[in-house]
Amino acid sequence: MEIFAASLLGACLLGLKLLVIIVPLVTAFEVLRHLPVFRRLGRACDPLMEGMGLSRDAAVPLFTGIFLGIAYGAGIIIRVAQEKKLPRRELFLMGLFLATCHAVVEDTLLFVVIGGNAWVMLGVRLVVAILLTAILARIWRHTSRQRSEADPDTL
Amino acid sequence: MSEDHVAQVPDIPTRLRIGVRSGLQTSFKLLKFVLPLYVVVDLLKATPLVERAGGLFAPLMHLFGLPGETAFAFIAAFTLNLYAAIAILVPLELSSWQVTQCGLMMGIAHNLILEGGVLGSTGARAGLLTLCRVLIAIACGLLLSGAQRLWGG
Repeated sequence: MEIFAASLLGACLLGLKLLVIIVPLVTAFEVLRHLPVFRRLGRACDPLMEGMGLSRDAAVPLFTGIFLGIAYGAGIIIRVAQEKKLPRRELFLMGLFLATCHAVVEDTLLFVVIGGNAWVMLGVRLVVAILLTAILARIWRHTSRQRSEADPDTL
Repeated sequence: MSEDHVAQVPDIPTRLRIGVRSGLQTSFKLLKFVLPLYVVVDLLKATPLVERAGGLFAPLMHLFGLPGETAFAFIAAFTLNLYAAIAILVPLELSSWQVTQCGLMMGIAHNLILEGGVLGSTGARAGLLTLCRVLIAIACGLLLSGAQRLWGG
């Protein structure tokens, strides 16, 4: 019972931490998104995003996830997804990228401290995430197009 | 962003209000998944899961050129988190390359229960994504141990 209480306390602390980070993060996103600089940055990322089958709406969640971690990336994804109605395909592609490649700074440093090679860990993870997402985007595009011929509303 | 925003950009107070409200909504959506799973993971720590499952997978670790004991660290990384895994790895005195290998594999696949919940909260298929993470981690581990054998490090 004591263990359970400790777990609940830990869960509440984690919840508080998420709240304290996500609310300002989403607020900042909402205030800044209309700035021209922000839009220009988005445009600069377009070629890479397009190669991975993602639209510009996915750029902010993606970069948040890569640097800050999956929970914060997911926070922004939920926000963008409910507003833009991101298709399942894009949600999965984003998920695949972030599942393999998130919070890269923290994760990598943890293992550098005990003697790992940062460039191998970071490089392989990034390359694998980009390649896999790009490959899946090419495979999946094909089937979604076939389905859309039968039912144009699915896209 | 889309064209409708170019047509009418809301003023700053409105954006702040929208931001705080959607930030709270988003957080609660996420917390619904994260909190129960956190409790589950935390309670798992008190069970002999890591020892049991680790003993089961120890023989497989030689496939990756890693000592059997690292299996315990991998189970801890998959079910708990990286900190628990590192606590197990440190006393094993692995070579730098082995640490890199563990770091890459665990970096890709860790905290699967909790992060699976997080991924699921976005509406993506969490089970499939989690399976992908484990498979990708295995593939990367084999890749690195293969590379080490080739260059004889």
